[in-house]
Amino acid sequence: MDKALIPEGVKRCPLPVFGLWMLVLFAVIAWGVYAGLTVLIKGLHVTGLNNYFGFGLYICVDLGIIALGAGAFFSGFMYYGLSRFFPQLKELHKIINLAVIVGFCCYTGALLVLLLEIGQPLRGWFGYWHANVHSMLTEVIFCISCYAIVLVIEFVPIILENRKLDAVKPLHIFGHNLHEIMAIFAMTGTFLSFFHQGSLGGVPGVMFARPFAYREGFFVWPWTFFLFTLSAMACGPAFTALICRLMEKVTRKQLVDRSVYELIGKIEGVLLLIYLILKGLDTLYWALDTAPGFGLKLSDFYKEPYGMWLLVAELGICGVIPVILLLTPQARKVNGLLFLAFFLDCAGIVINRFAMTVEALAIPVMPFDQWAVYIPTWAEWAPCIAMLAYGAVIVSLSYRYLPIFPRERELNP
Amino acid sequence: MSLGRRAFLQFVGGAIGGTLLTPIPWKLADDSAIWTQNWSWRPSPERGEITETTGTCLLCPGGCGIQARLVNGHRAIYVKGNPDHAVSRGGLCPVGAAGLQYLYAPYRITQPLKQTGKRGDPQGFQPIAWNEALKIVADKLAAVRKKGLPHTVACITGQDRSSVTDLWKQFFAAYGSPNLYTMPRHSDSTRLAVALATGYDADLGFHLEKATYVLNFGAPLLEGWAAPVRIQQIFSRWQTEQPGLPKTELVHVESRCSLTASKADRWIACKPGTEAALALGIAHVLIREKLYDAAFVSEKVFGFEDWTDAAGALRKGFKALVLAKYSPKDVAAVTGVDAQVIQELARELARQKNAVVLWGQSSDTPNNLYHDLAFLALNALIGALSDKAMVSLVPSQPWQALPEPAMDLEAFKGLGQKPLGQPTSVPKTKVRPNTLHAFLNALANGEEYPIELLFVHEANPAYGLSENTLAVQALQKAGMVVSFASYLDETAAYADLILPNHNAFERLDDVIGLPGAPFAFYAVATPILKPHYDTKSTGDVVLGLAKTLGGTVAQSLPWKNYEEVLKLRAAKIAEGATGLLVDATFDPASVEPGVSLRANFKKAADVWKKLTAGSCWVEAPQALDACTTPSGRFELACQGLLASVSTNAGDELFMAHYKPLPPSGNAGELPLLLTTYRSLSLAPGYVPNAPFMNKLLPDDLLLKQDVFVEVHPETARKLGLRHKAKAVLKTPLGEAPVRVRVAPTVPADVVALPEGLGHTAYDEYVQGKGVNANSLVEVHLDPVTGLGTVWATRAQLRLA
Amino acid sequence: MVIDLDKCTGCGACAVACQQENNVSFRPDESDKLRTIAWMTLYRLDNGKDYPEHREAMLPRPCMQCDSPHHSPCTFVCPVNATVRDEHTGIVDHIAVRCIGCRYCMVACPYHARSFNWWDPKWPKTMEAMLSPEVSPRMRGVVEKCTFCHHRLNRARDRARINGEDPDGVVYTPACAEACPTGAITFGNLRDPHSDVARLAKDPRAFRILEKLHTEPKVYYLSSDQWIHKQSDNDLS
Repeated sequence: MDKALIPEGVKRCPLPVFGLWMLVLFAVIAWGVYAGLTVLIKGLHVTGLNNYFGFGLYICVDLGIIALGAGAFFSGFMYYGLSRFFPQLKELHKIINLAVIVGFCCYTGALLVLLLEIGQPLRGWFGYWHANVHSMLTEVIFCISCYAIVLVIEFVPIILENRKLDAVKPLHIFGHNLHEIMAIFAMTGTFLSFFHQGSLGGVPGVMFARPFAYREGFFVWPWTFFLFTLSAMACGPAFTALICRLMEKVTRKQLVDRSVYELIGKIEGVLLLIYLILKGLDTLYWALDTAPGFGLKLSDFYKEPYGMWLLVAELGICGVIPVILLLTPQARKVNGLLFLAFFLDCAGIVINRFAMTVEALAIPVMPFDQWAVYIPTWAEWAPCIAMLAYGAVIVSLSYRYLPIFPRERELNP
Repeated sequence: MSLGRRAFLQFVGGAIGGTLLTPIPWKLADDSAIWTQNWSWRPSPERGEITETTGTCLLCPGGCGIQARLVNGHRAIYVKGNPDHAVSRGGLCPVGAAGLQYLYAPYRITQPLKQTGKRGDPQGFQPIAWNEALKIVADKLAAVRKKGLPHTVACITGQDRSSVTDLWKQFFAAYGSPNLYTMPRHSDSTRLAVALATGYDADLGFHLEKATYVLNFGAPLLEGWAAPVRIQQIFSRWQTEQPGLPKTELVHVESRCSLTASKADRWIACKPGTEAALALGIAHVLIREKLYDAAFVSEKVFGFEDWTDAAGALRKGFKALVLAKYSPKDVAAVTGVDAQVIQELARELARQKNAVVLWGQSSDTPNNLYHDLAFLALNALIGALSDKAMVSLVPSQPWQALPEPAMDLEAFKGLGQKPLGQPTSVPKTKVRPNTLHAFLNALANGEEYPIELLFVHEANPAYGLSENTLAVQALQKAGMVVSFASYLDETAAYADLILPNHNAFERLDDVIGLPGAPFAFYAVATPILKPHYDTKSTGDVVLGLAKTLGGTVAQSLPWKNYEEVLKLRAAKIAEGATGLLVDATFDPASVEPGVSLRANFKKAADVWKKLTAGSCWVEAPQALDACTTPSGRFELACQGLLASVSTNAGDELFMAHYKPLPPSGNAGELPLLLTTYRSLSLAPGYVPNAPFMNKLLPDDLLLKQDVFVEVHPETARKLGLRHKAKAVLKTPLGEAPVRVRVAPTVPADVVALPEGLGHTAYDEYVQGKGVNANSLVEVHLDPVTGLGTVWATRAQLRLA
Repeated sequence: MVIDLDKCTGCGACAVACQQENNVSFRPDESDKLRTIAWMTLYRLDNGKDYPEHREAMLPRPCMQCDSPHHSPCTFVCPVNATVRDEHTGIVDHIAVRCIGCRYCMVACPYHARSFNWWDPKWPKTMEAMLSPEVSPRMRGVVEKCTFCHHRLNRARDRARINGEDPDGVVYTPACAEACPTGAITFGNLRDPHSDVARLAKDPRAFRILEKLHTEPKVYYLSSDQWIHKQSDNDLS
């Protein structure tokens, strides 16, 4: 049975090994589910959240994972959209399936964690019913759930390519038709993603009474709106590439042409550079104009444990260094440096999301108020780690049973 | 038909699609949300008609008027100040505002209880019927009296301003025991000082409404001193600019940066416990620079100049002693206050027409007699006791309390016994010295005579008495302990029998006199709702016991019930035909001592009606024209002390002087001084902190179960203690775990511990939080009055 | 609302009365100040000087009912319209039964005026009798905050309607102002130029907290101490 499901002409590890791997992942997921149930049944007091840190690890991980999952929409956008103008982007079809799968994992995982984060998950749908159109979170709720549906639709034809399923005629036709119209979904997804990545950035950016997070902006959108979209584009494909590389390491096989990595490296390098320049300008404007307008200096925002090192790490170590590496052709040629750059890129964006959610809340706004420190508990770590395990399960299953890498057979004769 | 896999998948797919098209998922989503909005484990308060009732808060001696909102007449949901009340004018303190948390406390005693196990065993209490319980007490009383030992019955009451206390007095007189005590208060020592200086049995009233300058030596004005809400309102008045009137200046002397110190116009930081020396230093400057009220001193004061005692010996007067011993330079060395500042203060004080000197300590405990006399003397020097009457004497009973008790021989014999443990040096004045510490000491150590029966009424000495372990030891030694507690507190836990009183909001009671107020005061506290447990008013219980005992005891307490006693009060007021029944329009500044207010009432029934509706009766204090001292004057040199001090005593021992009682312990081992402080958001009295009040406590005062002591950064550095560090506080009385709040609120080498924490009784919302300050402070028995005084305790603080 | 810090003695009667009036729940341990539910919080300010120049003051902080144009910081971000500002009365209300507990409003509020129900609120059985039927107890997982005793306004308006008076002209007092023993809290209609609050808000001693954020709080403070003024906003010299 297992053999029959595995795509033709590729080698997969023996079923028991795969089973063991699944078991490990399911154990982690079970731990996460247990933590999740604890939160749902006992209440959010089992977390490290409090009245000062209304947002914590859950939100931070959600924001981070959604940024990293942006590979799906941006690769799709490049492949289905931009490749008409830039034929070299056609290369991306070698990794586009993986990008969709990673995106699917990230978004569905994030939605699950989001359910834990809100105090009344059973009222979660009030976001649609009693929507406040001014709230960035409303936009987030709408776009993320819509985009998750789009990702499901994008994932379906990949599933249908499974050998057994493909053999079913109606499914084959259905899948084929879906493929034909995938560009439309990719474009819809892109549209939605531009918005919700942006509105995630808007979440901190619109808080006009929180000097650390607040940004001025364009029309109703604060600068963070655009920066978040841009930074997501600058790290999403990098994250896909990292996952791909990880799979190559685990399977000890080459799954995509190296040229794909280099292409992604070049694209990400350029995007990250643009992002960094804009982010730098934004930070300067904020530090020199916005914040002083609120009576605060840059140094007022950074105090241990959330010290200036965060800024250095975010923009310097995880910003400037990867840009240099990615834009240097020689460095791109060296695997170690290329993937280090991808990793730093992703880490920098996650630090940014951390700073905009958690650190932003540590800073006392009232002068007589106190600095607060947030320490997540196991009940927060477990679901987040389980979400990663969930992603690993999906990716593993997909890899084993679906022909997600079109070049795999040729690269591994 | 067999269901193939494909068919199954099709079925599942179809089912999901189909279900989504039906209303089921949407209805379920809606229902589940509605469910979260109506969780059954969330209480839903009963609705109904909301009414308001009026009463008087009995949770402290402040006598505030309150109004309660009731649902369907039986469920109190909110307490607020009565805006028409003469004293509190709608204001409330946090204890009063949280009052319902006592009324509905889970630790209320719901019915009479009898200890069936060992004394102190919380599990040993068993319900008992009222008649059985009362019979046990009555039998015991009868038996003790039959044995001719009525003086071995004792009572500790915490309610010293209610008619129940008068019933106890009446009962103890008729029954024949001198061992009736109230919980210690600062007024215990001031009343003795006043009696020695003027011959009157009176409380001090301060005309803060009229004052333009208040020099306050350590009284925690804003932390719950005297009648807290009255003081809060006076403070508010001081802060309000009134056109045409000079702003009242508050100068506060204290070692700790309390809220009063922070809020005062000027804070003079002195070394702990040296306030009296500063007062005498100021007196020195007043005398030296002839700034004192010479007319008052020469006409009305005795002992300012040198004098001759009854034995004909020439003795130095106040002037000579103060000039000799309290020069600003000497005082500066003692107090740490600049000599320059002392002079400045004296001149300022003298310049003001309506100046008044207040004094007190953070804890409401008796003070060193000589120190009380020093502050009284300073008031006399600035003429505050003259016709200006910035300080007046308010008789503790505005009328004759109750008819003379009928006393049989047994009663005379018993009452004539020396109160247990009372030292012989105690000055003989009209004021009965409230030597509770000496009593408990003797009882705990089995000295003099045993106590067969001990009543504890509205008092919690096992927690609230300074050196509370003494009370615990004494309770264990008493033959039988009967408590009237409403709550299962630390003391009630040691009772053999608990006859629960109605809660403060449920009972009919009264308030006689307001601490610190310059007028006589009477208010009736009407219950805001019916008692909801099987409790009985202690007044009724005392009357019932008297009736059961029969004879002269029953004759002395002939009233049918406690309400009748209170109505008698109303009748007395009507009969006296002086004083006013007042509401919020009452201005205390209009009251002149010795000038009776023209009554605005006639019939007793009217008086009762108005009193029960929230009106208060007020009357002017007496004038200080004829002191009943041996000299007939205000005595700076108290001749009443002749009997208490030896004949060859130094001249100083007759008058105010600075003499702190040395704290015990070795200064090397215990290098710090422990002082305690109060806060209005911490109930230090008979009731514990309500859960609502616990919310007010900052996390550098109470963190989880740890209390914080305040330590100066310098001291903390020396001891290697960081902010919030866990430490052990040690005094000669014991050790306790604490945490450290490093703050420059106290001088170096001083540790400040808040009062009102560290309960061991009640429920999980109260118990085990912090340390009971009373268990660590040291009591010094005043060598003259025998009262237990507290000022500072040697201490050590070390890293835990 | 105007709070006179010169008169405030930090006794906490306001906060206690508020808890009693609004069925605010409490727990055996209330020392975790970051998780406690308090509509009116007392902050302790100090002048930062050493003994004996040290001074402390208490600052009671209700909800500021921010009047910033269009939206308060919190109402702007609520995804489900659970917290809204009544533009007629200016009161920012919070509907607990609509709240989904996302805590975005808490994050957006610089005054920490909002608390989350981290636990199921639970009263000792006997104390359920003191719960007011006028304010529903909240459930776990939702946010709550000071409403300027909005239900009292509604009560006053209902009474006015019954008596045939203009419901817009009613005056009422929230629990905190009612309880304050020093009369430090004055409550009224800021829009009415003749009201006490409007007059006091123009007092030279008046300030608001964090004016630079342009949240336009409707709670004014009065103090004659410069060191307290300096702590009203960041970087005041």
